[in-house]
Amino acid sequence: MIAELLVLAGAALTLIAAVGTLRFSDVFSRMHTLTKASTFGLFLVIAGAVVRLDNPNDLTFLVLATVLHLVTSPVGSILISRATYYAEGIRHGIDTIDELQEGRDRGRP
Amino acid sequence: MIAAAVAMLLLAAACFGYRMLVGPTLADRIVGVNGLIVVGMSAIVVEAFESERGAFLPVLVVASLVSFIGTGMVARYIEGRGR
Repeated sequence: MIAELLVLAGAALTLIAAVGTLRFSDVFSRMHTLTKASTFGLFLVIAGAVVRLDNPNDLTFLVLATVLHLVTSPVGSILISRATYYAEGIRHGIDTIDELQEGRDRGRP
Repeated sequence: MIAAAVAMLLLAAACFGYRMLVGPTLADRIVGVNGLIVVGMSAIVVEAFESERGAFLPVLVVASLVSFIGTGMVARYIEGRGR
């Protein structure tokens, strides 16, 4: 019962993240949904499967996949954000303070 | 109950696929591809949950690493090309 509720909650969170990717207006905002909501949705689905399955091989794979995804997904988003910022810039209606501005004028750290 | 979860994952895949096809910049398309890979991983876990067989779970580990390496390479390409 708890396992099914966890899986359902994870799938609902992934759907909310996907709708957010459709509706946001800027690429930086769209990466927010992918990194935070979608990763947590996957984590809830895997938690539901951990409650249900018994075999220690399966549990090891699930825990390993969770740890790897939690480590690599934010790093991937940081790489894409930096690359897009240095290639194109940011729309100044969103933020008022641009902390990377002097790094950008100097060429690139 | 599991059918509702699979239907929600299907809708999420459609939304990410739309962002991959219609995305003004390359970064939008990478967001779509990463989203599709995450939805695929969720589908594999839901299948293992329902049938109680862990035969496909190593695919999860491999897909996570492949998506990370692909994202890093495309980020390098965006820096070099400029758009």
